[in-house]
Amino acid sequence: MMSFLDRLFERRARTVAQSSSRRGLLKKLGGALVGATAVPLLPVARADNHGNGVAKPVEHGSDTDCDYWRYCAIDGFLCSCCGGSANTCPPGTEMSPVTWIGTCHNPADGRNYVISYNDCCGKSTCGACLCQRDEGDRPPYRPDKTNDINWCLGTASAAYHCSTAVVVGVAFED
Amino acid sequence: MTHVFSVVSARAMRLGSGVAVGLLLASHAAMATDINHARAQYNYQMFCQGCHTPDGSGYGDIPPLKNMMGTFLRSDEGRGFLVRVPGSATSKLSNADLAEVLNWTLENFAGASLPEGSYEPYSAVEVAALRAQPLQEIQATRASILAEIAMQTP
Repeated sequence: MMSFLDRLFERRARTVAQSSSRRGLLKKLGGALVGATAVPLLPVARADNHGNGVAKPVEHGSDTDCDYWRYCAIDGFLCSCCGGSANTCPPGTEMSPVTWIGTCHNPADGRNYVISYNDCCGKSTCGACLCQRDEGDRPPYRPDKTNDINWCLGTASAAYHCSTAVVVGVAFED
Repeated sequence: MTHVFSVVSARAMRLGSGVAVGLLLASHAAMATDINHARAQYNYQMFCQGCHTPDGSGYGDIPPLKNMMGTFLRSDEGRGFLVRVPGSATSKLSNADLAEVLNWTLENFAGASLPEGSYEPYSAVEVAALRAQPLQEIQATRASILAEIAMQTP
């Protein structure tokens, strides 16, 4: 019986020794380390590429100031003063999927960007940081280019709370 | 330019194959219909996206373009409808730009709704004639066009 076990283990040990090397383990460990750092980059980079992969604007200034470059055609309360940001709605409000869109010049990089003024809806008016700049604002007979109407359309509640200014692209210039 | 590129190059390298595929698709489409994609996308963003949403899905009462608008190309009235609706006909886009943005939205959003998977691109001349006859009863016209198209499809 013992000799049988001896032979069995000897055969196994020789098989392992023939099919592996001492450096093989290091190689596999190294591969796993490098691979594990590379894999998570892929989905993160794609999520970052929101929309069309447009170059990000060079940012300057504070998004709680009415003078902030993205607010060139805004008319309302700045969400960044109401618990949200220039891109996001404050908690408890819903971003309207229907919006009006214009362009603003970014003095920091000299480019014009397409800005979507999505309103945040579902709570009464925020009341902080009223900002009315109206560049390129058109009368309501151009409904897609006016900030004088309530853009809380397509939301559960039509109650207007505040406005965001989301960069959605770079303006095309001939 | 080179400075900006060096800042974004790390991200660009990570995007890798996705960007390459995008460029291939863009060049293919440009050959097919001579669309300036940057201009067409900009015009879509400025004059359509606010209501039809970034991916053309629409919302609530706002009709979807996505997997839908190609259906209208199954009849002459339907083809005219896409140009005669107020959002197209009364927009401040030139005839050439309106034709281009319509072709761009068909390529990007119509998907499986395109008859036999392809379409005859709109031209500036065709668009000019159609938008000169803007629709009055939009919803009723839309319903009757779609009903007629549904009848011809087995």
